[in-house]
Amino acid sequence: METAALKHQLKEQIIQFLNLTTVKPEDIKDDQPLFGEGLGLDSIDSLELIALLERIYGIKINDPKEGRKILVDVNTMIAYIQQHRTK
Amino acid sequence: MSMFYIHQSVCVSAQKTNGVIDLDDIQPIKDNKLQAIEPNYDAIPPAMYRRMGRAVRLASGAALPLLNTLTFNGIVMGTANGGLEDCIKFLNQIVDYNEGKLTPTNFVQSTTNAIASQLAFFSANKGYNNTHVHRGLAFENAALDVGMMLNEFPDNSYLLGGIDEISAYQYNIESLANMYKKEVVLNTELYNSKTAGCIPGDGCAMFAVNKQKTGATAKLKAIGTLHTDKEEDVTQYLKHFIEKNVKDDALNLFLSGENGDSRYLPYYNACKKIVLNVKTEGFKHLCGEYATASSFALWLACYKIKSNNLKNVLIYNNFRGKQHSFMLVGDV
Repeated sequence: METAALKHQLKEQIIQFLNLTTVKPEDIKDDQPLFGEGLGLDSIDSLELIALLERIYGIKINDPKEGRKILVDVNTMIAYIQQHRTK
Repeated sequence: MSMFYIHQSVCVSAQKTNGVIDLDDIQPIKDNKLQAIEPNYDAIPPAMYRRMGRAVRLASGAALPLLNTLTFNGIVMGTANGGLEDCIKFLNQIVDYNEGKLTPTNFVQSTTNAIASQLAFFSANKGYNNTHVHRGLAFENAALDVGMMLNEFPDNSYLLGGIDEISAYQYNIESLANMYKKEVVLNTELYNSKTAGCIPGDGCAMFAVNKQKTGATAKLKAIGTLHTDKEEDVTQYLKHFIEKNVKDDALNLFLSGENGDSRYLPYYNACKKIVLNVKTEGFKHLCGEYATASSFALWLACYKIKSNNLKNVLIYNNFRGKQHSFMLVGDV
């Protein structure tokens, strides 16, 4: 899958997993921080995103430090997915 | 036990009980259910709202108007099932992902005490926080808990609530157990039905209660509960309850929890014979059947006492013919 299509798919999955009912995929910028001032996600959301990566892309993140580097924005998530996906 | 005064109440139900109250305009069943009309959730922060299950949403919508204007020393809720939809989603995750990585949201929302704790978060209430889960007597036990707390701390005020949700999964499971009507029965025709099963419903009623008479709208004078499947036990209990609590006071209305299920109607008919000269009304055609529907009945009793100048209302409810409760509500 092309990177642009994969990004759009990931944004849809983030909205679905986190029940962001008022957000559309086009509202999420590729380099917008997921946590804090950006999309405003919190620690519970980070666990939901880790489950998303495992269930949909077969990526297991066991080290919290590794998770912090991956779950920065859509760009960092996509880069990691493209390198490590098993599904 | 000396019970307590009810000062304010909010009811979220399938009827127009929240905001502008209109009980004459009876809302019909939808998909054979009487699901509560969800209130306005604008006051709930979006980050919280997106994680809330239906039970937590209904309770938050009903409680926020009270939490925003009053101060409580504790929050006491009754719910048989809590966030059942999220509970089932969580259990399904365990199966679907082979006991692998599970997400916290469904689990957090599924615990029965998520409701009372969410309300405590909203109001930064660090006081007594308790949830009673005794199926069809969950709300009554919550009310008894508040009564005991007020006996111990008579200057305190408590938020008392009863909540249950009807979820798609629950509807399917309970339907298989023959709990609901197999044929379509309009809620306006509920008491003419001769078949087994009821119309499922859900909702939430919240009450601001304390021991202060001034400003109160009604008084919960007494509660009685019993577990039995024997009709004679129920009638004996009711006779004793009336002798002990009603005495010479006028009883103006008997609110009967009959739900159109022919299997449980004998209990109600037997009780009606004891209060033969008292006007009888049902309430399950308004709210449907759920384990804490008695909280709707208490709200309705308060509303009728105030709007019709009644002196005493007696509520009888039973849950599946085994859990029975009587509540005596009076004017102030």
